[in-house]
Formats: sequence, C-alpha cells, structure tokens
Amino acid sequence: MDLLCMKDITITYGKSETASVEHFSLAMQPGEIVSIVGESGSGKTTVIRSILGLLPGGGKVKEGDILFQGNSLLNLKKDQWKALRGTDISMIFQDSGAMINPIRKIGDQFAEYIRTHEKMSKKQAWERGAEMLTRMHLPNSDNIMKSYPFQLSGGMRQRVGIAMAMTFQPKLLLADEPTSALDVTIQAQIVRQFMELRKLYHTSMIIVTHNIGVAAYMADQLIVMQHGKIVDAGKRDDVMKHPKSDYTKNLLACVPDMEGKRYV
Amino acid sequence: MSDKMILTAEHITKKFPASGKRVLTACDDINLTLCQGETLGIVGESGCGKSTFVKMIVNILKPTEGKILYRGQDITKLKGEKLRRLRPKIQMVFQDPSAAFHPKMKVMDIVTEPLMNFRLIKQSEKEEKAKELLRMVELPEDYIYRFPHSMSGGQRQRVGIARALALEPEIIVCDEATSALDVSVQDRIIELLVKLQKEKGISFIFICHDVALVQSLAHQVAVMYLGNVVEILPGKDVRTNARHPYTKALLGAIFSARMDFTKEIKSIESEAPSPLNVPAGCPFQNRCSQCMEICKVKKPELRKIGEGHQAACHKLKSL
Repeated sequence: MDLLCMKDITITYGKSETASVEHFSLAMQPGEIVSIVGESGSGKTTVIRSILGLLPGGGKVKEGDILFQGNSLLNLKKDQWKALRGTDISMIFQDSGAMINPIRKIGDQFAEYIRTHEKMSKKQAWERGAEMLTRMHLPNSDNIMKSYPFQLSGGMRQRVGIAMAMTFQPKLLLADEPTSALDVTIQAQIVRQFMELRKLYHTSMIIVTHNIGVAAYMADQLIVMQHGKIVDAGKRDDVMKHPKSDYTKNLLACVPDMEGKRYV
Repeated sequence: MSDKMILTAEHITKKFPASGKRVLTACDDINLTLCQGETLGIVGESGCGKSTFVKMIVNILKPTEGKILYRGQDITKLKGEKLRRLRPKIQMVFQDPSAAFHPKMKVMDIVTEPLMNFRLIKQSEKEEKAKELLRMVELPEDYIYRFPHSMSGGQRQRVGIARALALEPEIIVCDEATSALDVSVQDRIIELLVKLQKEKGISFIFICHDVALVQSLAHQVAVMYLGNVVEILPGKDVRTNARHPYTKALLGAIFSARMDFTKEIKSIESEAPSPLNVPAGCPFQNRCSQCMEICKVKKPELRKIGEGHQAACHKLKSL
C-alpha cells in the first residue's frame, strides 16, 4: 500500500474559477523522498499544504482524493487532525523561527508541543526536547531550550524546527523550502541532515523547493510544476537526464553552474 | 585585466558601535579595485560585510578608516554639492524590487525621478525619456503608466535597472539584484546586464551569495568572510584555481543540476562566529580542516599567489 496517494487533485481558492493546482497525482512508498520543484506561483506549496489540510484563505480540494495509509484526509474532524498533525505527518517551514512564538522560549514551546501529543510532566517533556536537539547536532541543547528564537542563527532555528518535527518520528515529513533562507554552507549541512534522518528513521519526505540542485540531490521521485500543473514527473534520473517538457529543459539550462554558461 | 582602474578601495574599515561598548567590525581592511567596463563580483555569506562595503561605495555610509578613490579622487570626504555631483556616476540596484519603489508612483515617474532631481530633463520630456529607458531594459513602452505592484518581480527589477541607468552612470552596484527572482528570470536579467555593459561600458559591482552565478558573469571575484576579503581571482579561474579553503568550501556546497547525485555533498561543519566576537588570527580557523597553530595567533594577510590571484591563508605560498 502506498504511504501517501494523491489522486488527480484540483485545488481552488475562494470563489475563483481558475484552479491553483490541477490534476495533481502522486504515489509514494515508505522511506521515499519526493521533491517538487517549480518557480514562484507554480502551486507547489499549495500541494503540500493541502495534505495537512492547511490551505489558507478558503482554499479547497475540489476534485480528487488524498489518501494517507489508505485513509482519506479530506473529511477529517478536528480531533482527528489533531491526532495526525505533528505525529504521523509533520511539517517544516522555510524559516522555523517565524513559525514559533517570538516572545516565548524555545524550550517552553517545545515542551508544550510534546505535552499536547503525549501525557508527561513538564520536566520530562523539557528533557525529551533537549535530547531531540542534541540528536539534531545542536550543541548546548540546554542553552538553546532557554533561548528565544531571535537569539539563534537561521541555521540553528532550522535545526530546532527539524528537531520538533522529528520528535514523534513521523511517517511523513513535509518540508516547504527548508533551506531557501540559509547560507550555502549551512544549506549543505541541513540537506545532509535530512538524508541522515531518512537513513535512521526511514522517514518519507516531500521537499518543496525552487532550488533544482537541492531537489534533485535529495529526491527519489522528482516532480516539476508550472502554473499548477505537473509538467514532468518520474524517477530523479529520468527527469534530470531526459526531461520531457521544454519547460524543464529550459529550467535546467538556467541554473547557474560552475561548468555551465559564462556570460562574459 | 585592463589597466583602466575606475574605482579603488584602499584599507577600508568599517566599525559599528554595539551594545555594552563592544565594536562590530563589518569590514576589516578591504582593498579592491574595479576596472572600467568590467564586473567585480563579491561573494560571501550573510554577515560577511559585503553589503556594508558597497554602501560605502555609493556613499550611504562613511568608512571608519580608509579611502575610496573614484578616478583618483577620494569620495569618502565629499560633502554637499560635490557629493551630489558624484551621485549620478555611481548608481545602485537593490535586492527586493517590491520594496525599492514608492508604491504610489507610476513607472514613468520612478525611472525619470533621478533626471528630474538633477534637472536634466523638463516635465514635457518625461514621457519620451521614460519610454526610451524602458526600451533599454526590454520592457514594453506602455508600462510607463503602470504601478510597481501590477508587475512581476522580474519586470520590477528591470524598472530598477532602468532607474539606475537614467543618469548614465559609470558604475552600477547590484546588491543581490537577482536573488529574489526565479532562475529563468534571473538568467534573462543577467543577460540584460551583460548586454548593457558591452554597449555602454558600464562597470558593475555585483554582490551575490551564489558563487556559481558570480563566477559566470564577473571578471574579478572577491570572496569575503567575516569582514575580510580572503581571496581575489579572475572569474574564469574560480572553477579550476580557487585555493582558499573557504572558497573551496563554497564551491563544495553548490547543488547544481549537473552534479553527480550519488556523491555525498561536502559541507564544512559549524557556523561562522559572530562578527562581534571575531577570534584572533584567521577568521576562518574554527571551520577550516587544515587549521594550524599559527592560524590561531596570526591573521593571514592577502598576498599575491599567482597572476591576478590573491589569497589570505598561511598554507598558501606567496609568489
């Protein structure tokens, strides 16, 4: 059985007639990494938000179905979502520092999150959080638990986000531009960490990014989107080496590259 | 390298006061040269002082120490009318094209504002001049009646370039001018900049964090780390001949569409120290795999290690 199966979904926002995402399909196995690439406005973020039922501003899955371990995610009740989000499926955003409360300490929020999903004392939850930070290669985890988000660098904040998302060892991890706000050397570290997590916990991931190099490096399956539609999809090497659409070919040619085109 | 130096930065140091009587050194003794009609690329990660440096070039900030010579004249000491007369020669294109314009000004007013400011054209000539500028950046002429918000990011960046071109500057500074754009749009903007450079002989200073992009368009590339220039080399040599460990680390961290995906990505460990707390000795010491005793004590100077190639590293022999 597929871990996640998106069947021909179409998503619209508000009363708009035009669909933001049209006829999007995807099937993924446990332990697989799927990358979705596309330029701004191509609908890639809308796709992964729809999986968690987090479409903003009246967004709605109009057609199709999303199945997670065989069960539809489209008509879940509030408490069913609560049980699923952050445990079986969790999400990492572009800047994890912006998703957490800026005026509360990291540790307080981390402990609160853990206690939402599992019954334990504050102290235990705090320790569990600190342990997760250590596992994500963050030195001085106690110090970080006592810090406010603004006191951490972008790379550290992103690691905190990953630590939180991985606490309950989700079966599926969704990442929306997880490395786009980071410096290149930090980006390489975070990408390596994602690959390590997959090896250790066999976590499936969907990575949404506009960085084709990062997407291709991580992916088993690669999906290229344009204007809400899939223009290329398949095994990573097939898509990278033999892209079917002109759009993908053009996109690949535009990526700056050491061996690539020189302008002067 | 052509001999016509148009701008030289000599021993530029910029310090900012910080809380608790500490001092933040954003730029530490920077020496760089820009040649006529060429592009100087500056690459580095956030907080390395590249933006601070170009802000001194365009005279938004004054350096704490050092000189910036534009055609032999020190521009850091200019004031009043003399400074105003200099401004048209050095123009700037900003990173975020949605924040760089007044939202209630039409494109026509945006691109001709510098000209009106210097009284180079009359009100009646505005429309014609605006159209001419838009043609230069390959935008449709009727866009002069639009507002910035009804244009895409790439189109807005073209407006930003048109505004910088209006005064026919000799130097244009691009601070991450393409970083907010999609790759295909970025490609076309770079094509445009290079075309303008060839036609008009403009010199560019191009700041970017993407070393792959910088080397593809710059004649000279300067790599910065924690306020220091650690390596300067011709753009075409970056791929084959980069010697400084930090430059190599940047190159190793590139994810490209043509890379071998089965190969493990190389990345250097840890993060850059805070610029408030720069260690004695080499600024790169805590992340360098080849760190020696001397690196922790003595800061390496930028030395010539090859033709047109300078690096600051104790490991490298000077020429």
